[in-house]
Amino acid sequence: MNSVSPSAVQYVGAAVQEELLESHRAGNPAPRLAMSPEASREAAVEPDEVDKLKAKLLSAWNNVKYGWSVKSRTFFNKTSPITVLGQSYLLNSEDEVERFHGAFVSKLWLTYRKDFPQLEGSSLTTDCGWGCMLRSGQMLLAQGLLVHLMPRDWAWPDAQPLDDVDFEVLRQWSPSRAGGMPIPSFVSPWGASQQAPKDVQRPESARDRQSEPLHRQLVSWFGDYPPAPFGLHQLVELGKSSGKRAGDWYGPSIVAHILRKAVCKTTEVNNLVVYVAQDCTVYKEDVVQLCEPSPSGENGPQTTNGPQISNVPDTSWKSVIILVPVRLGGETLNPAYIECVKRLLKLDCCIGIIGGKPKHSLYFVGFQDEQLLYLDPHYCQSMVDVTHADFTLESFHCCSPRKMAFSRMDPSCTVGFYAKNQKDLESLCSAVAQALLCSKENYPVFTLMEGQSKDYGLEGLRLSPTGPAHILKLSRNSSTRSSTDDFVFL
Amino acid sequence: MTPYDKPQLQKPFKLRKSFATRKLEVAGIRSKFPNKIPTKFLVPAELTMTQFITIIRNRMALLPTQAFHLLINNSGLSSISLTMAQVYRDHQDEDGFLYMTYASQEMFGR
Repeated sequence: MNSVSPSAVQYVGAAVQEELLESHRAGNPAPRLAMSPEASREAAVEPDEVDKLKAKLLSAWNNVKYGWSVKSRTFFNKTSPITVLGQSYLLNSEDEVERFHGAFVSKLWLTYRKDFPQLEGSSLTTDCGWGCMLRSGQMLLAQGLLVHLMPRDWAWPDAQPLDDVDFEVLRQWSPSRAGGMPIPSFVSPWGASQQAPKDVQRPESARDRQSEPLHRQLVSWFGDYPPAPFGLHQLVELGKSSGKRAGDWYGPSIVAHILRKAVCKTTEVNNLVVYVAQDCTVYKEDVVQLCEPSPSGENGPQTTNGPQISNVPDTSWKSVIILVPVRLGGETLNPAYIECVKRLLKLDCCIGIIGGKPKHSLYFVGFQDEQLLYLDPHYCQSMVDVTHADFTLESFHCCSPRKMAFSRMDPSCTVGFYAKNQKDLESLCSAVAQALLCSKENYPVFTLMEGQSKDYGLEGLRLSPTGPAHILKLSRNSSTRSSTDDFVFL
Repeated sequence: MTPYDKPQLQKPFKLRKSFATRKLEVAGIRSKFPNKIPTKFLVPAELTMTQFITIIRNRMALLPTQAFHLLINNSGLSSISLTMAQVYRDHQDEDGFLYMTYASQEMFGR
């Protein structure tokens, strides 16, 4: 690696960061930006400590740089419900906090990784600093796959306790927690005895435990090595036909198409298709056609070299992930769209939104009041070898829910939905249409149309869209007008 | 690129021409072509937004996978089933032009 490139600095910083994470997981308090008196005292005494301090500062800088600051703590009030992909939680009791915890931590968290096999056609072995939109896209697809494959309301039985959170409700109950300590009630800090009552509380835990092999398999599809069907290597490869290369920045619309291609190509996932809307319009009949059993198999996954798929005939209705790339304003987010975005996130069928702050991609999964709840890919972790039978799952789940103001949202994003069967698709369409209504007087986020896109094309119009343009030259004031001000006749 | 796609760096239309000039132009166009809507294009009133977008996409030779958005008054999308006449009625500027901005999507990376 070129030592003068900025990524070399990130690389070092990230390595240290992981070490800190491990010490944090081992139960030590999170290292703080070195402002504490004892840290500077130690530094003065031991030369080794100076290096450590340097490393800490570098790590802190790295975190700040990627927007993942160790210090930040997210506050959740108890008076407004928090919505997470169609589910609502009023965090005014420990039970509700626990339900929210289960729902949030069970989402897959896909972040920057380093030290993975070189990406083809480049020398890159990390996506730190460029791959965040691909990671957000992976999270969106992962959510679709979770609802596609896992039992309804599945929760990860080994979910880690939440971290860096401040729940108003827990503050009040226990003065010792004032200021927002990690919540001790869920798991581990007091040992395994704490696990037992949790299992009693959740009758689904046995079922969830049984689903663990599937959970693991799902995570492994996002592994950072070339054969993984939804891994970074595969996604970068599929982006090449759109003119993207490893190291480039990606947008939410391009990523939507990359995901569509990835699902279409793989033989691992049966019975699932992805529809990507063009021009902010979902044509219902086009979606139906994609889902319908096709004897020719033209819409199904490619069956070349796929032994698994060959014994599954394409005779059943396929589940569908609908992705709608949108633009919620010009330079900045048009506030008129916020209400509609909230309504969409409240829908059961919504699997989230990939977008972010300007230049900084995030995966939005919900909101509380005027703040969006998100999963952040900007955290550089070491690659996990998912081919190992018992690889660790911890780094694929996030224990720190974060929020940001709607007003900071970049207008470019892609909204995702999922429908398991034909009946679901019907209810998806009516629910989405209902949710979109709120902005009718202003501008819709996107449009749901009956019929197929070809029904609305240019056929039947007396226009020649690709023909020579007629340029109108106005005679008045022609001396003062530049030629670019002429009008084009359609 | 076709001559009517303004380069990004050029001064915006509204800064290049005074309100009075623009208003006069619209009046001239409207009397000459009562069934055309003055944007930078003169667009048939019965054209739907979908058709308009399709035409511009074709002219710009965009691939279906390339994101393209037409924002009205630089703030939002119109319902794509509306005709140009309807959009014009609701969103025309004081000067009589209908302003639309075209935009793709932003890229994210850090």
